[in-house]
Amino acid sequence: MEKLLTLWHGSGLYNLNLGQAVMILVGLVLLYLAIRKKFEPLLLVPIGFGGILANIPEAGLALSALDQAIEVARPAVLQQLGTALGASLDPLADAETWRQTLKGLAHDGASPEALRAARDVAVGVGYGDGMLYSFYAVAIASGIAPLVIFMGVGAMTDFGPLLANPRTLFLGAAAQFGIFATLFGAVGLSALGVMDFSLNQAAAIGIIGGADGPTSIYVSSVLAPELLGAIAVAAYAYMALVPLIQPPIMKLLTSKREREITMTQLRPVSKLEKVVFPIAILLLVAFFLPDAAPLLGMFCFGNLMRECGVVERLSDTAQNALINIVTIFLGLSVGSKLMADSFLAVETLGILGLGIVAFGIGTAAGVLMAKLMNVMSKMPINPLIGAAGVSAVPMAARVANKVGLESNPHNFLLMHAMGPNVAGVIGSAVAAGVMIKYLG
Amino acid sequence: MQDTQLLNEGLALMGLGMGFVFVFLTVLVIVTTLMSKAIGRFFPEPPAPAATGNRRPPAPRQDDDVMVAITAAVHRYRRRHRR
Repeated sequence: MEKLLTLWHGSGLYNLNLGQAVMILVGLVLLYLAIRKKFEPLLLVPIGFGGILANIPEAGLALSALDQAIEVARPAVLQQLGTALGASLDPLADAETWRQTLKGLAHDGASPEALRAARDVAVGVGYGDGMLYSFYAVAIASGIAPLVIFMGVGAMTDFGPLLANPRTLFLGAAAQFGIFATLFGAVGLSALGVMDFSLNQAAAIGIIGGADGPTSIYVSSVLAPELLGAIAVAAYAYMALVPLIQPPIMKLLTSKREREITMTQLRPVSKLEKVVFPIAILLLVAFFLPDAAPLLGMFCFGNLMRECGVVERLSDTAQNALINIVTIFLGLSVGSKLMADSFLAVETLGILGLGIVAFGIGTAAGVLMAKLMNVMSKMPINPLIGAAGVSAVPMAARVANKVGLESNPHNFLLMHAMGPNVAGVIGSAVAAGVMIKYLG
Repeated sequence: MQDTQLLNEGLALMGLGMGFVFVFLTVLVIVTTLMSKAIGRFFPEPPAPAATGNRRPPAPRQDDDVMVAITAAVHRYRRRHRR
């Protein structure tokens, strides 16, 4: 009977608390969206599954050794941890209160030395870092996974349309207004007292408007790791929703005549131009904004491997095998941040709301910029391609093409829209660099 | 008081960030245009016919068959859909 009771006390059902149950449901919803609705399944399947894994009670897959020890260790060990952290544990209180005190200390207030000592105690007693915690430390806390993915994206990107019509870079720049407007919106919400975001957190939320998953994850891992889970989920969910979010805004801001504008065919681009271009970007980044060097450096490296034509094997690996491997670990690591205590907060709703606003403003700014350029230049520009300035490669370009075809079935904008689309990737990486420079 | 400071910081970052993004991409536009011009001037692409000339010859024999099939298909499709 006693043994049965221990088994029951060790079971997930006995230890499940409300937050974990809700988060497991959230994980299941993400899986549903990915599998049934095909929302960015490559990312949302690992993220959703990681979220479920992270919330399995008692397993502590997303916890560090210290957190795990505080969570489940025997009272004797807790006392040891208490002395290591310099806490005075009330001998009359029960173990649960001790755990609460220790938890508070470990996450806020203890000095680095005390934390290291406590960690040593935990490891000494036999607790180890959870699997997802280790993935997170290696893949995201170090910044490696988003950067490797950026390299793969670079290896998949064709700068041809951009080189044929460099002015589309302005559209990619304009669409970044979504990022900064949202940042201001988040700051405004905290000033009004609706939510409580610091400037760093506001910047990390704004970058959702860049519509670029790896950039969002990179920036929030640097500026606001505590919001990473919500930001990554919002970024990828909205990227999947681009075909629903953008068309109404695009149609609202353009007349039918403008949507029918046919653009002149792009000139052919020589191979040498394509080889020199990533090196030119890299040099510009080196001169003007070294803080964007990790992102744009890897991006340019990937693109150079693609275009130089002598390292087919490396380019192939970066585009396929490597990016797939890293995506798995990136997804699971993001999932590890879907823990009840940080995700189930009003702030998450704020992030989801601001994220969609960011997308909308970015799209609108791109379209308006394209209209402005149309007025000023002789070469006709269809304003729809401005919407592709939010990155979301290649979805946003496809949307521009589709809306264009609805107005004029013979007007193929896809290649024209790819220019602003890749310009958006560069633009959001530059915006990320500015924010990290300013706040990091 | 603290709120207005936060708002000001946000506004400053917005202006600075947007300005920098535009400046950087403008410079990139200029550099790209110059680079394309220079490359077009000093390293023009070798004329295309040389490459196509080599690749064409084996094709025609298949091409005839393929052309016949395509023409037949197009005719049939048109006849069916005109009515």
